[in-house]
Amino acid sequence: MFRSLRVKKQPEKVAPDSAAISVEQLSRDPTIPITFRQINSLPENAKRRIYRALLPAALLTDLGVDPVSWKGTSADLRVRLSAEADTNGVFLALRDGNGGADDVLRIELADNMLNGVDLNFIQISDPHGTRYSIDRDEHDRPTHFGTASRNLAEEVKAMHAGLAPGQTRSGLRASGLVFTHLEGFLATLGHRAYFLEPLTYASAWLFERRGFAYVRGHKLMDDIHCEFQPGGRLHAAVDGSSPFRQPEQWRTVRGRAWAIHDGILEAIGARWDGLRMVKQVGKHSGVVTFPDAVY
Amino acid sequence: MERKRQITRAAELSSLADFRDFIEASCFDHPAMNDRVLYDLKLAVDEACTNIITHGYAGMDPGSIIVELEIREEQVELTITDFGHAFEPRNAPQPNLEAALADQDPGGFGLFFIYQTMDNVDYACGEAGNCLRLTRRLPTGKG
Repeated sequence: MFRSLRVKKQPEKVAPDSAAISVEQLSRDPTIPITFRQINSLPENAKRRIYRALLPAALLTDLGVDPVSWKGTSADLRVRLSAEADTNGVFLALRDGNGGADDVLRIELADNMLNGVDLNFIQISDPHGTRYSIDRDEHDRPTHFGTASRNLAEEVKAMHAGLAPGQTRSGLRASGLVFTHLEGFLATLGHRAYFLEPLTYASAWLFERRGFAYVRGHKLMDDIHCEFQPGGRLHAAVDGSSPFRQPEQWRTVRGRAWAIHDGILEAIGARWDGLRMVKQVGKHSGVVTFPDAVY
Repeated sequence: MERKRQITRAAELSSLADFRDFIEASCFDHPAMNDRVLYDLKLAVDEACTNIITHGYAGMDPGSIIVELEIREEQVELTITDFGHAFEPRNAPQPNLEAALADQDPGGFGLFFIYQTMDNVDYACGEAGNCLRLTRRLPTGKG
């Protein structure tokens, strides 16, 4: 090894800064990525043609939504697109057709500082699943999915219903389809990877299964697994001192996730903070930090 | 007989043994492999990953290192990907081969060994990580 190998502290941008996109630019080297800021500079219908490719047609059809017009069976617009000019992100939400308050799918993508892509938010919920208001406190103020404040009574109910921290409803089991589709969309734009920050231990584990690796936090995930084993400090800390720290929770992804959500990482001097994951388009990294896991 | 395998571990020194074992297991019983090539591959993965752990992820909560090994009929390709700080191969310090062994910096030979033992060395950094691709031709006869 080198004792003082020089590293680049200021990485280069993956795509040049450009506010707008032109036919000339599209005609140039197709391996240079296109940013969301550039797409957002296009006329409204052009943007919609492009962003339409973000949503899997099969999922829309299953939910009674026309994949081209985005309208439901009663001709109501079911997909909301937010991609304003001079912004660097896109937000898409698919509304439930039965008048439910929650969206079935929410996805938010943005250019990052290096003009790569950050998946800032994704939520896929079963509109028919029981709703747990873990996202609002007893005064109806937002909890930011339990990260800013907590609704403990709703969290206990959600946990006992088999949900993971941050979930208001059970999932739709469509994440594989959505992620595969997302990768195809990003490859079309010329991107080779995208990044995210996992909200919870359960989501990090799920993203591992989808093929993500870690930019930051792989060692922390290994440490968490190690410390949850019998004799470990996290194993000792699931001591029944709160509903979220019951002794058997170390055995499952969700059990660990609720204990971590409850702050148990203090026992090893760590916090659930700063993890960053990366997915290489078309590749599975093979990361497994919880071997033979039970979800 | 083509063979392609991959392992991903956290960027920490305790993972080095896993990477070496992975190389050994992936090459085991391959008709085109010999002890010399196996030794060079293990040395290369050890040196390259140590650089990533020590320098690439310095100051960060360590992320992942992905090691892929592909054995083809005439060559073996070792690809090491990480997501830490990219390094600048052209600015890498060279070891002083003239100095007495006792005066040598304990580090400094990593890339030197890699360049000495591999037939081709490519390095690229981009959106999908930092990728070091090492190629070693395989001997036509076992030896």
